[in-house]
Amino acid sequence: MSGVTFDEVTKRFGDTTAVENMSLEVADGEFMVLLGPSGCGKSTALRMIAGLEEVSDGMLSIGNRVVNNIPPRERDIAMVFQSYALYPHMSVRKNIESPLVANRANRLPAGERSERIDEAAEVLGLTDYLDRKPGELSGGQRQRVALARAIVRRPEVFLMDEPLSNLDAKLRTQTRLELVELHRRLRTTFVYVTHDQVEAMTMADRIAIINDGHVQQVGRPQEVYDRPANLFVARFIGSPPMNTISGTVGTSGTGGNVATEAGVVAVAELSGSRAGDEVVLGVRPEYLKPRDPSKDDPGAGGLRARVENIEMLGHERHLLTRVGNEVMVARLDPALPPPSIGDEVVLEADAANVYLFDPSTTERLGSGTSTPTATVVADG
Amino acid sequence: MATESTVTAPPTAVERPRPPGSGLSIGLARAGWYISLTLLAVVVLFPIYMLVIRAISDPISFINAGQPLHIVSAQWDVFSRAWSDAGLARAMGVSAVATIVIMGAQFMTSVLGAYAFAFLEFPLKKLLFAIVIGTLLLPIEVTLVANIQTVRSLGWLNSVQGLTFPFLATALGIFLIRQGFLGLPRDLRDAATLDGFGHIGFLFKVAIPLAKPVIGSFLVISFLSAWNQYVWPRNATTEGAWQTVQIALRTLTTTRVDQINLAFAGAIIAALPLVLLLIFFQRQMVRGLTAGAVKG
Amino acid sequence: MSITVESSPDGATKRTGQRVREALLGWAFLLPAMAIFVTFFYYPLYRLIDMSLHRENRFGTAAPYVGPSQLVDTLSGSDFLEGVKHSGLYMVYTVPLGILLGILLAVAANRRLKGIRVFQTIFSSTVATSVAVASVIFFTLVNPEVGYFKDVSWLSLSNPDTALFSVSLSSVWQNLGLTFIIVLASLQAIPTEVEEAAALDGYGPVRHFLRITVPLISPALMFLAVVLVVAALQAYAQIEVLTNGGPGTSTQTLLFKIADPQGIRPLGIRASMSIGLFALTAIVAAGQYALLSKRVHYGD
Repeated sequence: MSGVTFDEVTKRFGDTTAVENMSLEVADGEFMVLLGPSGCGKSTALRMIAGLEEVSDGMLSIGNRVVNNIPPRERDIAMVFQSYALYPHMSVRKNIESPLVANRANRLPAGERSERIDEAAEVLGLTDYLDRKPGELSGGQRQRVALARAIVRRPEVFLMDEPLSNLDAKLRTQTRLELVELHRRLRTTFVYVTHDQVEAMTMADRIAIINDGHVQQVGRPQEVYDRPANLFVARFIGSPPMNTISGTVGTSGTGGNVATEAGVVAVAELSGSRAGDEVVLGVRPEYLKPRDPSKDDPGAGGLRARVENIEMLGHERHLLTRVGNEVMVARLDPALPPPSIGDEVVLEADAANVYLFDPSTTERLGSGTSTPTATVVADG
Repeated sequence: MATESTVTAPPTAVERPRPPGSGLSIGLARAGWYISLTLLAVVVLFPIYMLVIRAISDPISFINAGQPLHIVSAQWDVFSRAWSDAGLARAMGVSAVATIVIMGAQFMTSVLGAYAFAFLEFPLKKLLFAIVIGTLLLPIEVTLVANIQTVRSLGWLNSVQGLTFPFLATALGIFLIRQGFLGLPRDLRDAATLDGFGHIGFLFKVAIPLAKPVIGSFLVISFLSAWNQYVWPRNATTEGAWQTVQIALRTLTTTRVDQINLAFAGAIIAALPLVLLLIFFQRQMVRGLTAGAVKG
Repeated sequence: MSITVESSPDGATKRTGQRVREALLGWAFLLPAMAIFVTFFYYPLYRLIDMSLHRENRFGTAAPYVGPSQLVDTLSGSDFLEGVKHSGLYMVYTVPLGILLGILLAVAANRRLKGIRVFQTIFSSTVATSVAVASVIFFTLVNPEVGYFKDVSWLSLSNPDTALFSVSLSSVWQNLGLTFIIVLASLQAIPTEVEEAAALDGYGPVRHFLRITVPLISPALMFLAVVLVVAALQAYAQIEVLTNGGPGTSTQTLLFKIADPQGIRPLGIRASMSIGLFALTAIVAAGQYALLSKRVHYGD
């Protein structure tokens, strides 16, 4: 078993750079999710591990072996594709067997092959379907055939490229659990690419958030949620995303405040910023609430907002408001009576759960040191 | 996911719903439509009908009877006479051998060429592709005079090589099959690479099986053009023994008037392989003939 | 510090080796096809030019180099121009009529009616005939001695004014199956939604056909036009079987003169005419390219 190491890896396609100077260590046995918007370079990174794309610059290792020039089939990896990439003209058994026989040079004896196939089919509940063709299977079953084809070769590293995105929502939730279970059972390194933060949060040991060919942050799911390294991560992780608005730092008593065009927000921790600094203030929807109109206190600060829409989700409500030029979302307890559309409200942020970002670098101020106390996990 | 390669599906005969109208006018319209269809069918079939009754009728009696629309003095043995006495059996054999050689070779050269252009990187690829495209400007009719000289100097007049060699490769096959290969999903190719397939393994185990519909359509076209050839075999053969069936037909039309129904019976025999093809491979035939003409 | 992969000696050789192997495989795969293409498509083009530059003497015993004079003489001579004229007439007779009949049959058979399959099969049936078979079939109709229509004056093969037209009808008939199949397939490829939208817009049947259907099947009609033009340029068997070029030279198309079944033209002249046919083929191909790159229908 082995991990995967990117050492200043760059991938260029002609004039465009898909991945730039990427350094990332995936530990042995770890479930690492590469998360980012489409076109961010995450799939390119995965395909470089597979050997489907050549590395332009830098060093890529699997275990202790630099694999830059090792052909895919000698890398001891297996990959599950978004489209599953099953061979439509072969039975399920032949599909699963394919990686064991495709390369004549290291073909296994027939007895061991069928043992392995039966074992993989057993693990994934495919035993009854071995003689069917992929076309006769449901989407979920095809997905499991793709997984079986991967585990049958007992690779050092599993690579998965958006393997759940062709499944319907219910099946996706179920398969997430099965993948976590599979990882626990195999104790092999998983590198999993997705644009879906819910998949990342629910399955990963660690998440690497990628944008524009660069790793933005690597950390455990709770860590990247609680302590986003920069504005991109802050806005990408969490649903609805973190609200942001720019303002100027002022001081008052122990903490401080940030004056925005829509009002003043109290901040518990100034994270090294000083009065007069320009900052971007961030607050997650669950720490933003409309002030009870009966307890209105004109001196208490807060953001003046107008209610534009209210989304009912059953277990909660999302209040969509306009604050200056920004749209801000507050998460409401469905038990409380909601304001009406068009109402003017004042939004209060929980001072202990406000983030400050440097507007020029987009880095979070006090990254790594400040520890807001939020513990809410993104909803599934 | 797609269970077949992304080849254009053959057009199925799905008729569209028509807006409703009154029952009577629909009935009248339908009757009118059937009458028109029947008239058109008669026009299309009349020449074939004439061929059949003229083949079976004794030629002189038929003319003396004032060319009626029915069989006169039936000669049912005309088919066996055409087959054996008039030499059609041998001509059909020559045609069959030439067709099989051409189809087999075109399959091989087209699949390999298509694979190279679709999946391999090599120097001069663009130039070589241009050479393939360029052959479309040089049909056999244009190069006939020179090619006959070449075949003659090789001593290949009246031989299987002479009948087949210029047709062992075709740009159309390379194009069509290349399109089929390029239509294979990228994920599938990547998966095959990771499974450890080399190029040969991928070609035979994955690419050819998945491109079967395109290859099938191409083979139908290949069969049609090889079997139906006229200009080349007419010029590449000087002895009756090497005539293909199409050439033998012409020779039969030059026989005496009282034997002319041998030519008509011969035409029926020569068409039989194509009739069978039409019956058993209608789908591939329609797909082959419409390749490039219809999208969707 | 970044390591440049190309500079790593082990990797460089490994990758170069792989590339060389791939290149060799590519060339090997193309070798058979290229051998045929060079020998029977490009080399003969050179041979044609070479032959056109040599004029055979009367006995065919020697062919001294004469420069382009023979080529020029041939391509401006009445024999060649007559061949071009007859080939052009053959196109005029076969292409528009062929397309119109194809549309007629396809529109008639594109209906939801009981038994329509039978009619569709009948209309496709001529694809089962080769040119030679179709020619023999028309022999039964128009042959001056035994043809069913031998006394119909406008179909007469004995009259130089009608013979070429009469021959061309065999091509029209033989091509019916192909034109029908292609037009029908393109009619059936029109999305139902488009038909329905047009019906809702209130087009009458004729305007619907001209405004909606024809533009949508125009790529297929274009394709057919090209196929039929090429087929007309290559018409040969019909002529040899039905008229053998006569009466006189009235049915001698360009290809008939090139193939020269009676053996009356010297090689150099036939080669020169072949170069003329090549030029015509190239013009057709250029026209085809120009038309296809023009917008012949909306969208895809």
